[in-house]
Amino acid sequence: MRLFFSGLRKLVRRPATWTTVGILIGLLVLIVLAVGAGVNGRTLRSGNANAVDPKLLVTFPGAYDRILQFTTGLGGLFALAYGAAIAGSEWSWGTFKSAVARGESRVRYMTASYVSIAVMIGFGILLTFVVGVVAAIVGANLGGVSTGGLGDSATLNDLPLRLLKGWLAVIEEGALGFAIATLARSQLAGIGAGIAFYFGEGFAAIFLPDIVKYLPFSVANASLVVAGSNTAGMFAGGASALPADQAEVLVAVWLVGALLVALLFSDRAEITG
Amino acid sequence: MSGSPGTGTTGGTGAAGAVSPAITARVTGPADGLALATRGLIKSYGSRRALDGLDLSVPTGVVYGFLGPNGAGKTTTMRVLTGLIHADGGTVEMLGRPFKRGDRHRLFEVGALVESPTFYPYLSARANLRELSASGAHVAPRRIEELLDLVGLCDRANDKVQGYSMGMKQRLGIAGALLSDPKLLLLDEPANGLDPAGIVAMRDTLKALADQGKTVFVSSHLLAEIQVMADVVGIIASGKLVREGPLKDLLAMQGVVKVRVQPNRVDAAIVTLGTEFPAERLTESDRDEGWLSVRVAPDLAEAISQKLAAAGIFVSGMESGTDLEMLFLELTGGQISGEGNFVGLPASANGDASAGKGTAA
Repeated sequence: MRLFFSGLRKLVRRPATWTTVGILIGLLVLIVLAVGAGVNGRTLRSGNANAVDPKLLVTFPGAYDRILQFTTGLGGLFALAYGAAIAGSEWSWGTFKSAVARGESRVRYMTASYVSIAVMIGFGILLTFVVGVVAAIVGANLGGVSTGGLGDSATLNDLPLRLLKGWLAVIEEGALGFAIATLARSQLAGIGAGIAFYFGEGFAAIFLPDIVKYLPFSVANASLVVAGSNTAGMFAGGASALPADQAEVLVAVWLVGALLVALLFSDRAEITG
Repeated sequence: MSGSPGTGTTGGTGAAGAVSPAITARVTGPADGLALATRGLIKSYGSRRALDGLDLSVPTGVVYGFLGPNGAGKTTTMRVLTGLIHADGGTVEMLGRPFKRGDRHRLFEVGALVESPTFYPYLSARANLRELSASGAHVAPRRIEELLDLVGLCDRANDKVQGYSMGMKQRLGIAGALLSDPKLLLLDEPANGLDPAGIVAMRDTLKALADQGKTVFVSSHLLAEIQVMADVVGIIASGKLVREGPLKDLLAMQGVVKVRVQPNRVDAAIVTLGTEFPAERLTESDRDEGWLSVRVAPDLAEAISQKLAAAGIFVSGMESGTDLEMLFLELTGGQISGEGNFVGLPASANGDASAGKGTAA
């Protein structure tokens, strides 16, 4: 447990933690407030069938879905970079080496490091979501949109489960970044490769949707689709996306797989840097 | 040691002179009483063999100077001893028990500073030590304060490490190595970045630790530093031990008398002394014009002076003593670096036809 709490303390004091969550929150608040300020007096858009009416972002209870979509969608990318940054720095700063030289178990150290990342990601999602909801309320007031749906009991009852699923999807993406950076032994290489995989997968989905739908970012997004809503991430894979229940299983598989790769590599690696 | 007793001292490149009985006794005896022993340690990186049957015998309660040229295998040895990498062959015994893959708990009694000190740059010195203490053996919180005081970082303990100088990081690295109050301390180039006062303080600290019965294993390029600090030295080249033993015993075999004559009389001095001493013991200094080194017992200084004076060559300066650098160069052949080495400038580059001239013929 002391490794886990140490990991948490390090992450809480790490500027990258607050920069990452700060950018995510900042973007969300900016978008929500801009939408709120811009929708005053307008009606739902009807010209383009594929277009989403921006007013939905500040209209409750649908706003809950939209904010969660943003948080887990862009948040997934941020989690990927964050996981890569933390794991990579353990190698490039040599702090993993110091712990190993003190007789610490490599597997235990890296596991504790990842678990603390997952906890921080959970905190970040929650914080972003709460701030996003507050921003949406402000945006609704700016836009003259009723906040009557704010207390919708059906949505509120579903919210904890959706947040939990969102957290699982995002920490799976964080685990991928963690594993990539561990293999690369570098935070910059890890972040770069992770982001390249993220967008590469989204791009490949255009040509190979039946394969890409099983890949980690697609299943993470597909797992967030809730019946009757559209809580999917940025690259949900469209019509070829897996059903949410299958996607959830694959999210767990990718998460555990990525973590195992990272742990196995850490355990076997020759630490020479 | 679980393996067979090693032969220890080996005739390395250019090794000269017989091994002293004291050294032989130390390295061929049973491994009992050794804080650290390696036998036949082998490690290869691809086709390159970094350690080639390394046998080390580090007695308990000494400062052990671990010397070797760049690429000789010092850092590889440190990495093996700290579990960062695993040897391809051979055995390691630490503090009286075998240290194999999976024996990480043995490192709870070992403190290490391998290569450069490593820390979280955004944390303070105090926070770094606190988080480092979360790994490995348990550390009492007050130990951190004691160590900050010991390495002289109390005043800056709350500053972020990213603002530290190299010397401050090095001191913090030493504090980190001492966190668990280790019985065996493995330090890789601990004097790196330290100012003279810091080096003296570090040296005193390490000697004091040895006096307390702890064993300090110091890898270094700084021969002069090792000469004043170490009780026992081991010299490696090309991954093999070429000499090991108490420093004073090794130096006793490595006397040197340096004489200064007029630069234009150096060749004549070499001829004169060549009648008395083998040519390979006479070396003209590359760095200081007019200086000539004669590798003989220091008490022959007077005889050398008389011999030169009789030949009409007058000595304007004279030094005698023992020289670890000379021993080091002799045993390692002057380089043996697996990482390449500096070479003398070509004669045409500096217009000096004698550039790079070394041993007089």
